[in-house]
Amino acid sequence: MNTMIEIDVTINGRPRTLEVAANHTLLEMLRDDVDLTGTKECCVVGECGACTVIVNGRAMNSCLMLAAEVDGAEVVTVEGLEMTDDLSPLQGAFLDEGAAQCGFCIPGQLMAATALLMHNQDPSVEEIQEGLAGNLCRCAGYEQITKAVMAAARGAIDA
Amino acid sequence: MHNVGASPRRGGGYGRVTGHQEYLADIKLNDVLHVKLVTLDVARARILSIDTSDAEQVPGVAFVFTPDDLPKPMPRFGPIFQDRPVLAEGEIKYHGEPVAAVAADTKDAAEEGALRVKVNYEKLPGGVFTIADALAPDAVLVQDPALRPGDPLADTNVMSEKRFGWGDIDAQEADLVVEDTYQFPMVTHFAIEPHGFMAAPEDGGIALWSTIQHPYLLQKMMAKMLGLSLSKVRVQAPDPGGGFGGKQIPKYEPLIAYMALKAGRPCRLVLSLDETFQAVRRSSAEIRVRTGFNSEGYIQFQDIETNFLVGAYVDIADRVVGKSSYAAAGPYRVPAAKIIGRTIVSHTMPSTAFRGFGIPQISWAREMMMDEAALRLGIDRLEIRLRNLARFNDEFIPLERADGDWEQTVRIAAKRIGWGDPLPPDHGRGIAVGLKSGPTTGLSYSTVRLLFDGSAIVYAGTSDMGQGARTIFAQIAADELGVDFDQVRVVMGDTSVVPYDQQTSASRSSVLMGTAVQRACHDVQQKVADRAAKHYGLDEDSIKIASGLLVLPDREVSLVEVVQEVLAPLGGEIIGNGEMRKDKDPNHPLGGTAAFFEFNCTASEVKVDKDTGHVTVIKHVTVGDVGKSLNPLQVQSQDDGAAIMGLGHTLMEHYIFDDEGRVRNIGAIDYRILTSMDLPLELHSESVENADGPGPYGIKGVSEGSLLVTAPAVGAAVRDATGALIRDLPMTPQRVWEALQEAKSEA
Amino acid sequence: MNKFEYARPETVAEAVDLLAQFGDDARILAGGTDLVIELRNRWTEPKVVVDVKRIPEFAPSITEHDGVVSISAGAVMADVTASDLMHREFPALPEAAVVVGSVQIRARATVAGNICNGSPAADTSPPLLVYGAVVVVAGPSGKRRIPIDDFIVGPGKTALERGELVLAIELPIPGRPSGSAYTRLTRRRGTDLASITLCCGVDGNGTTRLSYGSVGPRAFLVVDDSGVLADPSVPIAEKVEPLDRMFYQASPSLRSLRASPDYRLAMLRVLGARALETAISRMTKELVT
Repeated sequence: MNTMIEIDVTINGRPRTLEVAANHTLLEMLRDDVDLTGTKECCVVGECGACTVIVNGRAMNSCLMLAAEVDGAEVVTVEGLEMTDDLSPLQGAFLDEGAAQCGFCIPGQLMAATALLMHNQDPSVEEIQEGLAGNLCRCAGYEQITKAVMAAARGAIDA
Repeated sequence: MHNVGASPRRGGGYGRVTGHQEYLADIKLNDVLHVKLVTLDVARARILSIDTSDAEQVPGVAFVFTPDDLPKPMPRFGPIFQDRPVLAEGEIKYHGEPVAAVAADTKDAAEEGALRVKVNYEKLPGGVFTIADALAPDAVLVQDPALRPGDPLADTNVMSEKRFGWGDIDAQEADLVVEDTYQFPMVTHFAIEPHGFMAAPEDGGIALWSTIQHPYLLQKMMAKMLGLSLSKVRVQAPDPGGGFGGKQIPKYEPLIAYMALKAGRPCRLVLSLDETFQAVRRSSAEIRVRTGFNSEGYIQFQDIETNFLVGAYVDIADRVVGKSSYAAAGPYRVPAAKIIGRTIVSHTMPSTAFRGFGIPQISWAREMMMDEAALRLGIDRLEIRLRNLARFNDEFIPLERADGDWEQTVRIAAKRIGWGDPLPPDHGRGIAVGLKSGPTTGLSYSTVRLLFDGSAIVYAGTSDMGQGARTIFAQIAADELGVDFDQVRVVMGDTSVVPYDQQTSASRSSVLMGTAVQRACHDVQQKVADRAAKHYGLDEDSIKIASGLLVLPDREVSLVEVVQEVLAPLGGEIIGNGEMRKDKDPNHPLGGTAAFFEFNCTASEVKVDKDTGHVTVIKHVTVGDVGKSLNPLQVQSQDDGAAIMGLGHTLMEHYIFDDEGRVRNIGAIDYRILTSMDLPLELHSESVENADGPGPYGIKGVSEGSLLVTAPAVGAAVRDATGALIRDLPMTPQRVWEALQEAKSEA
Repeated sequence: MNKFEYARPETVAEAVDLLAQFGDDARILAGGTDLVIELRNRWTEPKVVVDVKRIPEFAPSITEHDGVVSISAGAVMADVTASDLMHREFPALPEAAVVVGSVQIRARATVAGNICNGSPAADTSPPLLVYGAVVVVAGPSGKRRIPIDDFIVGPGKTALERGELVLAIELPIPGRPSGSAYTRLTRRRGTDLASITLCCGVDGNGTTRLSYGSVGPRAFLVVDDSGVLADPSVPIAEKVEPLDRMFYQASPSLRSLRASPDYRLAMLRVLGARALETAISRMTKELVT
């Protein structure tokens, strides 16, 4: 038992061995220990979704997870969405539909949307709104975000 | 001209969707000290002593900063009154006012240290938490009268009382007079990015980083406070993650600057979301409206009293009161008006600018009263507004002229909502009009560099917090210079690199900075033309300048092509400067006429669950008179966004206090804003574009219009559906239910 | 957060030993959606946090055996909402689980954690009470089974003793015909904490089981055997008074942030009537098919 824990975690496809403080969250680990600042800190009570990452295929709030809990897990952050040389179709759709205004909630929205599309390739508008209901946007670009997710889904179906 | 009026991909969008964009909290400085604020869990207390010894023992803590570390007398700052101390001096005046700050090598150590600072304090009883509290004859004074020498109001909690008006309201004859008082709650900005501040000593001066919307204002204030020249104060202001006015005015930058100077090292303070709740809010208000009408529903007079509760320090709230009260009578033809606006301090967190700047508060009351009159006179609620609406060029407020075809805007909104169509049971409709003055003074400079390869760099000191300023300046430059939109770089956010911009507020930037950018481009064009004349051996008068082109006597040639010819073989660039200045007018009560007005008509259809009080917005329409949409997608996003934000204070947002002035619902769990599941079932934003604005291509400003009258549109709809009149926002299910119960028992 | 140690036992016995050893100085980490908030606010400052997710018995599972459905302690809300078995036999539970926070929360929050946290507003308590759930617990003295009504004690308090932890929640499959429904009162349609939680179950024997929470120190279960409430043929107007009497346990806090006592009491009646109607119509559907 210890206050510092060694973990093996794959982050954006890259296996890492890290020493993390027992009392640090996954969010702190990502932003401070591995310098992936794309994941944002806002409410830290699991309400706003700005800290959303994908762990073992599911969207989760990294502010409510201890870093030690991802030992052995696969974590994907917004930095892991880009493909070589290009944006992912979802990122492109977000740009085309004007979904990002101030942009601060967008990494979280992208991760929640990515997880949604992983499990549901043909979501309805309601399903998108429900799937992203845990991601607050104060610029309130909800309609544009929903449209972007829909466009990405359609694009993948039509492709 | 193909970029202006189109919706190219947002400037800065790439960084936003990849996570690469650096917001303030993402910037890592070497050898930084993390700062944690020390606050008390009371609203009012006298500070007796601060024991820092335990905190200093925590490994990693560098020092604990208290008022003893600051110059004497305590430095105070503020954009209007210099009333806010850098740290609470002897007394805290609101729940959450910092009394000390801990600087440490790690966030953990700073947090640990802050917990161990022992503040010996004496809780003070009572306090001023409401307007009634503030105006009571035996009220405790929130601020020390000594801060306002010579001010007749110094011994009251009224910081200022403004009187506006025209004509003689008592001389007007009215067939109907309606009078009532409405309340607008305390709400907070809740930008998803909390405020952040960093400072580092630098070469005889200081470097500051802040989420601030007004970097040059911060620069000026800090230079004055620290006795430095402007050139020695460098402010870097990354794009804020949402501002909405809450990041306009300096808050903790002075504290961090003093700490960095003491430490000789960079200091960093990033607020938690909870801390932002105790740092910024909208001025709440009690608005009394007494309006006289003739039997046909034409306004005879407006008698309006606005009491704004602004918090312990005035910040910019006095301007909120003045500017909004001045236009309180609304976009109507009003023969006589008497308006009194008061800035009232309280033992609550300071309010600051917030989208709408006092207009939502006043319009809530005024528009609901228009409905009251319509109902009593038996006139359609749309019709009564059309009868009274100011027409284009009417001097509807002395020195101010209606600058748009507002009737057109209203008719479009009415059509979109289906005004007059039959409604299902439990449904209701409301319609309201609102108006906000644009900036009354302004000063924006821009520099544009047209580079040898045909790309360009635009320097613009505006803050892009999501409204898309970056994008539209690139659009303007691309069109004026004939350059590809994707090849324009816009540089913002660094006072030592980018020339002066007064501020980003009042929806001003597309008009003021847009004009400056356009003029800088014209300067480039003129310089190219001058060189072309020499190079081609032509008379200067024979060369005409068009967008992206020079028209020579025998042909048209692109600007870029000419540049490449005239600057060869060394290359280089053409640099242009532009300035847009709207000077202060000492004869105008607000310091200047409005550069433009944001006029909006909002119409809403709701369904009310009469058993539970839940309000569902079935259809929500907002139409704005924008002059020209430089980027239609961005305009629509801002309008949608403002409408949804307006639904927040209309339906669910408010601070809840206990009876000792402490906030009970700090944070995201118990302060409710709209999520993706709370949207109107149908939301429709539209713009009227008559190219009748003062900015480039006839633009006016946008971004605030759609939340000016959200509340009265919905409030009127709820009344229409249920007969229940609600005067206090937000219209939570419980409030609606209570109003329905009251209506039942009265019947 | 305070500096604590992190333990990750691999067996139930190991976990029990740790919990017995540290008592109140240990906290169990399952989903973490409640615990991490408590840790961050320093409402709890444990010496050790015990992550139970590696214990094989905790692996998320929802299985049926001999007419009893067992939800493992590691099963999260998302597992409940995705389970056909749950929707078929215990529809009010997925109805409750789906409104616990957002997708992100439901991927972590466990049903067991929801009842162990002991909030009077816990969404899963009313359905578990109506369905007569039994909590399977392991401790220093071995395994025991605690009926849910005894397990829930008060705000933040359960029947768990030192060294004990939940292994599973068992629900006996209801007899047919029966119908049940879950509803709640919130401040907005989006994710929210409930100001009232309410579950109603009716069966062909005429029994109505009504559970409601967030109007007192714990969720309450009230049973009506008179047959009046559960009878589809009795008009709603005649059910108002008997239904009203079912709420005698409600004593909402005067100091509540989320809704006033008057409003809550009134909404109990409104939501109770709606949930009853839904439960009856679900039962009636079963009678027909």
